[in-house]
Amino acid sequence: MRIVVTRTGGFAGITRRAELDTTGRPDAARLRSLALAALSDAWPDRPAGVPDGFSYELDVDGVTAYCADPELSPSQQELVSKVLGEGA
Amino acid sequence: MTNAPDRPAVFCPIVPPHLLESLARHEDPEIHLPARYTLELDASHRTRRRLGAPGAAESAVAEAAGDRPDRTIYDAGHQQTLPGTEARAEGARPSKDQPVNHAYDGLGATFELYLKAYRRHSIDGRGLPLNASVHYGQGYNNAFWDGKQMVFGDGDGRIFQDFTGSIDVIGHELTHGVTQYSAKLEYFGQSGALNESVSDVFGSIIKQHALGQTVDQADWLIGADVLAPGIHGTALRSMKAPGTAYDDPALGKDPQPATMDGYVTTSQDNGGVHINSGIPNHAFYLVATALGGHSWERAGRIWYDTLTGGQLASDADFAAFARATAAAAHTRYGDGEEHQAVLKAWSQVGVAVSAAVPRQTAPEGAPFPAQG
Repeated sequence: MRIVVTRTGGFAGITRRAELDTTGRPDAARLRSLALAALSDAWPDRPAGVPDGFSYELDVDGVTAYCADPELSPSQQELVSKVLGEGA
Repeated sequence: MTNAPDRPAVFCPIVPPHLLESLARHEDPEIHLPARYTLELDASHRTRRRLGAPGAAESAVAEAAGDRPDRTIYDAGHQQTLPGTEARAEGARPSKDQPVNHAYDGLGATFELYLKAYRRHSIDGRGLPLNASVHYGQGYNNAFWDGKQMVFGDGDGRIFQDFTGSIDVIGHELTHGVTQYSAKLEYFGQSGALNESVSDVFGSIIKQHALGQTVDQADWLIGADVLAPGIHGTALRSMKAPGTAYDDPALGKDPQPATMDGYVTTSQDNGGVHINSGIPNHAFYLVATALGGHSWERAGRIWYDTLTGGQLASDADFAAFARATAAAAHTRYGDGEEHQAVLKAWSQVGVAVSAAVPRQTAPEGAPFPAQG
């Protein structure tokens, strides 16, 4: 499974994009279920969000959905944090 | 002490307490109200008892009650659930946790600017309590206004550090609240860039006001204190020279244009709201420096009138905003140097205002002075 997270907006307005391939990873099963949970909590279109809030695009094997701070679900928080690798 | 009645000593730490106390007993409210306010900020209950002023003085304090902020700072405990546990209430002693105190002071400085410069009572103009949460998330690289309160991350320490450390960042975020309660500029495209720019303008003004700076002394930077050590840059944005704030392998290069020649069309970041805001930011800088003195006085007043005057559409583009600032300058100051400075600034950043000013006479047939 290929997971891509793109974060836009924020006070700095700087876009960050990171991807993670679960193939061959010891935590692949855990990551797959996390990604699917995050996706099922997300929106088909980009939500309005709040001024300076981060906005996220989640792409899981080509399926795209959106979420925005401060309304991330726990799965979304964990996934975004894991993939961007710097904390949501 | 009487040379700046419009900018009281509240954030001026060099005034010793004994001097403040004698000012607080002065018969002139212009002098005693700010002094009492400062003393109350420092140690509310104890100070009032010590002053022991009954009668007229007591009622003056009561009258000024609406002129005090009502702040509560919460600690989100590195979770992303708001608001968290209460860490410092209005009038309480400083916390041992510096971000709590920085947020408290920044909220106070913002309240102070809007009240003293524009007689606006808090973010909504009606005394809205000011709430903020610090330590939001784990190494969270952002700060935002969620529609009801401020939220601050600690930064990851690699790119950003504690977002409470920059007073202009705090002023910027709270100004999103002011916009929410006034012009309601839609957060997309040019109206979104204007929403961002207004927050940068007043964020910078709030910092300048707190430091007592003139336009020549100000750094005109946004977020100078939130960049982590080692990042190649001076800040996140520069109103004086958009596009020059940073150039770093981790952050990239500051993408802001200063003029319409560099306008960026993008679908990211709500249509580049943090990018194209450089253009109206620079226009404000040009107006403020052309007029000189304190930015919150004439230049800030024109922008504040524009934001809150009820004439600006929520989907205003740069040209509409430019026209509105010119009209606001004309309404308040007539066809004087303020109006001319506004017209010239927009012309310099490449935004046309010519159709804009209803009563502009332009007797010489050339409404705008040449570049420079």
